[in-house]
Parts: sequence; structure tokens; C-alpha cells
Amino acid sequence: MGHALRSYGTLIGMAAVILFFWVMLPDTFMTARNWINLSQQMSMLIVVATVMTVVMAVGDFDLSVGAMASLAGVVAAVLFAQGHGIAVAVAAALAVGLLGGALNGALVSLLGILPFVATLATLTIFSGVAFLVSDGKTISGRAIPEAFAGFARGGIVLGGGERPLVLSWLAILAFLGVALVWLVLEQTSYGRRLYALGGNMEAARLAGIKVARLRLTAFLFTGVGAAVAGLMYAARVASANPTQGDGLMLTAIAAVFLGMTMTRGGQPRVLATLAGVVVLGVMDNGLTQLNVDSYVREVLVGAIILAAVSISAIGRRAVGMR
Amino acid sequence: MRHLVLTGVAKAYGPTLALRGVSLDLRGGEVHALMGENGAGKSTLIRVLAGLERADAGEVTLDAAPLRLTGPEVATAAGFRFLHQEVQVVPGLSVAENMHLAHRIPQRWGLVDWGRMRAAAAAALTELGIAGIDPRVTMADLGPGDRMLARIAATLIADGGPEPWLYVLDEPTAALSHAEAERLFAVIGRLVGRGAGVLYVSHRMDEVMRLADRVTVLRDGVTASVLGRAAMDRDRIIRDMTGRDVDALFPPRAATVGRVLLEADGLAGGSLALRAGEVVGLAGLAGAGRNALLKTLIGALPRAGTVRLDGVAVPPGPTAAWAAGIAYVPRDRRAEGVMLGQGLGRTVSLPHLGVLARAGFLRHRAEARLVADSGAAVRLKARGPGQAVAELSGGNQQKVLFARALAGRPRILLLDEPTRGVDVGAKADIYALVRRMAQEGAAVAVASSDLAELIGLCDRIVLVRAGRPGRALTAEGLSEAALLAAIYDGEAA
Repeated sequence: MGHALRSYGTLIGMAAVILFFWVMLPDTFMTARNWINLSQQMSMLIVVATVMTVVMAVGDFDLSVGAMASLAGVVAAVLFAQGHGIAVAVAAALAVGLLGGALNGALVSLLGILPFVATLATLTIFSGVAFLVSDGKTISGRAIPEAFAGFARGGIVLGGGERPLVLSWLAILAFLGVALVWLVLEQTSYGRRLYALGGNMEAARLAGIKVARLRLTAFLFTGVGAAVAGLMYAARVASANPTQGDGLMLTAIAAVFLGMTMTRGGQPRVLATLAGVVVLGVMDNGLTQLNVDSYVREVLVGAIILAAVSISAIGRRAVGMR
Repeated sequence: MRHLVLTGVAKAYGPTLALRGVSLDLRGGEVHALMGENGAGKSTLIRVLAGLERADAGEVTLDAAPLRLTGPEVATAAGFRFLHQEVQVVPGLSVAENMHLAHRIPQRWGLVDWGRMRAAAAAALTELGIAGIDPRVTMADLGPGDRMLARIAATLIADGGPEPWLYVLDEPTAALSHAEAERLFAVIGRLVGRGAGVLYVSHRMDEVMRLADRVTVLRDGVTASVLGRAAMDRDRIIRDMTGRDVDALFPPRAATVGRVLLEADGLAGGSLALRAGEVVGLAGLAGAGRNALLKTLIGALPRAGTVRLDGVAVPPGPTAAWAAGIAYVPRDRRAEGVMLGQGLGRTVSLPHLGVLARAGFLRHRAEARLVADSGAAVRLKARGPGQAVAELSGGNQQKVLFARALAGRPRILLLDEPTRGVDVGAKADIYALVRRMAQEGAAVAVASSDLAELIGLCDRIVLVRAGRPGRALTAEGLSEAALLAAIYDGEAA
């Protein structure tokens, strides 16, 4: 009983949520169009939650991803406004992500600062720099190149005739990100070592794993991933402001935690994280379609997260008491 | 005078009999030493006294009235106080606050009465003649000796309950310097002078000979002897501690020993050489640095000298050591060895991922084969490589670490307390395995506090003191008494 709850509780919950909306919204919810929309809406969150899975596999986490996403978007937009091309702006934004990730990694693994404290501080710094760079304003309109914003609207046409069904490039990019991180975490010796750090850092060190170096590299994923998500966001809304990515951080961490309730041993795994994102995305999408007030929506989403994590904790305790 | 008597106390953990019939007679006003080898039952006896374990059989009387030790609160009410070698303190609080952890904090108008709290702490310290501890300073600023003294003094703070009269000190000097130990002995004298009894649990013969009025020696869960001052004699105590047959657990020793494989120098001024086919034991008292010695060899602690394998220097760090063919089984397997929450295969393959990957990508088949083969070689009992380590018994967890060590076909095998917390069946498996590894040409170093194990398993035993490998003894024909005497001789020197 405990075991079943622990392993399948969240999956059953996920099915129940989907079934509920399917019944309540028979015409609009379980349609290809809705899911394709959903995939585009969730794409930024998928990217951030995916890279968050990497640092959480190591046993750390990164609170600065939202601020980094905002910063990267703003950096690109400012360069656009100065007349630089897409390649330069995107490269600069990604470089900022890499640097920020390296900073986080160095603080945590070389100086030994708790990830909570270190990334809380860099969150503030990144956010402040985003305001400085943008002068606190939203950069939009003609400054943003047509091709950049067009990327977010384009995609692969799957059919649909007059109102074509388009799987957006953003969603495709997000799924490529998931595939890449899945390869890294599940199929490489590097990924295996990252999980070893999360499992027992001292044991990993004594087994010859270069702990400090590896721990640092995990933060490069969150830095670059957050920057990618920030660029996707800026392209999607064809503008950038210094706070637009901020909301990604808490939701991404929530998605990883939801995913951890589905895996054996409660490990953060990429595909489970994806399922976590889907649960959160579907909740938001379905409740919006049901015209549930957005404040009520937040309460419900928070309650669902608590329920999943509680059921998993109770299941684990039941197993532990055997 | 207070008088505590235990008769015929027995306690079993599953099929293992930790205590088979222990008698103990403790009086106020005496220092009573408790001695015995590891596994003789000292810790279990203390846990029974503390009410942390309930004895299966036996009688306990306090001042001739029956005492049922059903929980820690009973032990506290009976006036027992327990101090372990690592004193538990809250480092961030002041000494006075720490001394009041188990007491009601003096208050005035519902607020802490700091003056009265400090005065109570100071009075308790003075009562035991402890000078130089300011109750206002932070506990973290005190050395281990002063922390222990503050904890002892804390028991004197009146709280309306029954007065403490029996102090159980478990290896109290293990973490103390010589001067700190002297201060502790003075305080013990004061306690006894007040009519309290002290149960002094220690391996350190010279301390016992100096402090104790009587000594109770445990062996294999039974009281082997109770000696008064007149009958207390070092050789007699050692004989009573060790007088048991070495079990037939051990495989035959090496017929021949090969050339030197590993040479290490700069080990606290000493050096160590390990030969192919040889099992070398590292013996010493608790805190003698056996553990640090092995950690230095695997590269987890900085080295003063060099470690050479086949004459080639091994670069520093555990990565280079594993790559060179040195394998290590740590002492604390949960904290230093396994990934408890993950599948056991992940612990086994961890140091070998480099050879299991092609261009960074894991060859899952090769990994599965490595885990299965090495698991079979150590007779690991598990459902499969995905079973979480936490679900295995202690013996099987240890076998996971042995599987990991031998999966890389190591030239050097470093084992720290390889059978700690392992049942007898798994012990025999592990001994056979160690010997087989040696026969296949590996050099093995075993640090152990189990003398019978060292003598039975090893070819040669090196005495370690203050991290320095010293005199070596031939294990064949060595008695536990002789080995223990050699260890104590090293300490006395």
C-alpha cells in the first residue's frame, strides 16, 4: 500500500486531474489544439525545470534562474536596441548565463556557501543588473527584430487547414533541451557521478570523484538554461523587461519536487520533472478555461503540490516502518 | 551509601547474544572500571543502564529495592548520569545556557534571569573545583576537556529532583589531551569525595590502574571477573579480557609472500610497505590514527610523504589512487561508503565509471555485468542492482563495498574495520574474500579494533600509534593477550 502510493500516487493524481478537465471541458480540453498551445505556454518552464533537475540531482538548487532569465532577455533586447544583430545578442545573453552559472557554482562548490544563500544573493544581483541594463524599462516595439519574435510564432505545421495546427519552435526547443539533459543525466558517466554527489558527497569523494569540479559544472546548466528560457520568453512576447522571467523559479522547483514524488528513491529525474511540469501546466490551463479566478488558481495549485509531496512522504514513511 | 546491583543481565539482538549474564556491583564513593574487548558487551550494558535497551533477563536492585529500567527517565530519576567521549553540546550557546539544558531556566517576570543562571553555573563549577571556565563564554570556545567538565558540573545544578549519584563515563579521555585528562581525574576525585560512584569505561589500562578501586571485566557478554585493588594487575586483566578461543572463522594464511607493491613514507614520521599476497593488520587503541593512515594512503587526507606503487609515485587525491589500482573500504559505510537511497549497482560501479564509458557515454551492459559479477564474487544477497542500499542488511551493505573494491581488480586493498556491525556469517565470507584477494596477488591492509580478527586474518600486524606505523609482529601464534600487551606497551612508551 505504501509502496503503491509512493510510486504511483502522483501519476494517479495526474491522470485524475486530466480526466477531471476532460469531463468538465469536453469540447476544448482534450484537443490537439489545446495541447499544442499548452506545449508552447509551458516551453520556458520546461527548460528551466529541466536544468533545475541537474543541480537538484547533485543535492543543490538554484534560486537565481528566474532573475537570470530576466537578465538574459534584457541583455539581448538592449543589444537589439543598439542595432546589433540576432547572433550577437543571443550569444551575449548565453554568455551572461554561462558566467552567472559559473559564479553560482564557484560560490557553492569552491567557497562552500550553502546553495540557498549563494543563489539567493545572486538572484538579487542578477535582478539588480537587469534593472540597471534596461534602465528599469520594458524594451519592445521596433527595437526587437522581426526574425527574433517571428521564431516564437513559427513552427512545424501539423495540418489543420484554415486554422493551421503549429507545433512551435519554442516547444521543439524545449523538448530538445529535455532530450539533451536526459542524455547527460541518464546515459553518461558524468551524469552518474552527479547523482553520486547528490546521494553521498563524502562517499563520492572517497570513491575518487572530483567533487568540487563536478558540483560547479551543474550550475552551468542552470545558468545557460535560464538564459535560453529568458530568450524564449523575450521572443514570445517580442519585448523584454527586468522582471518577466522571475516567476519561473518557484514553479520550476515545484515541478522538480512533483517529479521526485514519482521516481524510485525520490530522485530528481528529467522525465519525471517533465511530468511535473505537465501537471502544473494542465492545472493552470484547465482552471483558466473553467474561468476560475487566478487567485483561487494559485491556492489550488499550491494545495496540489502539497498533497502530492505529503502523500509521497507518508508512503515513504510507511515503507520505512516495515 | 548508595548501592546498585545487576545480576544475570541478558540481552539479545535477534540471534546475537550481546549480554549473556552480566553481574555488576556498584557503590557510591568508588571508581569502578568496566573493561572488555570490542563486542564484549560494554556498550549494551551501558544502554541497559541508561534505559535505552530493556534487558531480556536479570535483576537490578538499587539500595536493595528492585529497579525496573524501562526508559531513560527511570535512569535519570535513579540518579544515573551518562557522559560519552563526544560530549553533546550546543556550540552556539553560552556555557551557562548549556549547563541548564536539562534544567529549568531561572526566570523573573517570565524572562530569563541571566544573573541567577550564571550564578548557578558558576557555583556548580566551583563545587567541583573547576577553575578557568567562564559561564558567559560560548561553548564553541571551550576545548573538549572543558566541555566535558562543564557537562559534569551541570549535573550538580539543583532542580528539585533526586540527586545524581552514579556517573557513567564512556571512554572519557579518548578525545582529551594529557592536561585535560588530568583535570578530569581531579574532578572524578571530587565526585567520589562527595559520595558519588563512577563507572569508568575505558580501554586505557594505565588510567584504570590509577583511578579504579575495582574493575569488572566483561568477556563475550559475561562478567569474567571482578577485581579489587589488591588483585588488579595488568596481565590478569588482559587474560580475563581475552581468554577465549579464536574461532575457526579464518582461512589459512599465505604460504609465500611476494615482492613489495606499495611503499609509503612520511606517515607521521613512519613508513609502511605492503607486499603482494600479504595481509597486514593495523593495530592500535581507539584514536591511534589507523583510520587516518588508510585515508592518507587512498589520498583523502593530505600527504607529507609519497606513496609508491611498483616504485611509481601515486599522485595525490582519491581519483589517482583508485585509477592506480588502490581500492578502499571505509570504516563508516553509511557516511563514507554507500549511496543509501540509490540502487546498489550505482555504488558498485562509481569508481569504475571511467572504464565503463565510451566517449563519456555509459555502456549499460558492461556496467550490469560488472555489478553482477562482483556481486556474485562477494556472495551479495540482493534482489538486483536496482535495490536501494538502505534496504540491505549491514553485512550485505558491507559486501556492496567489497564488490565495489574488487570490481576494479585492485593491486592494493585498504580495509578499515571491514567487519564492523556485520553478522558472523558475513564475517566468514569477508575473511575468505580478503584472503582470496591476497592469493590472487593483491596487497591488503586491514585496520581493525578486533584483536581476534587481526590475529586470525593477517600475516603481519603493525602497531600504529599517533598515526605512525611502528613495530610489526608476526600474527601466526600470537595470542590476543600478547597483542594487547604490545599495544599497551606502545602507549606507555
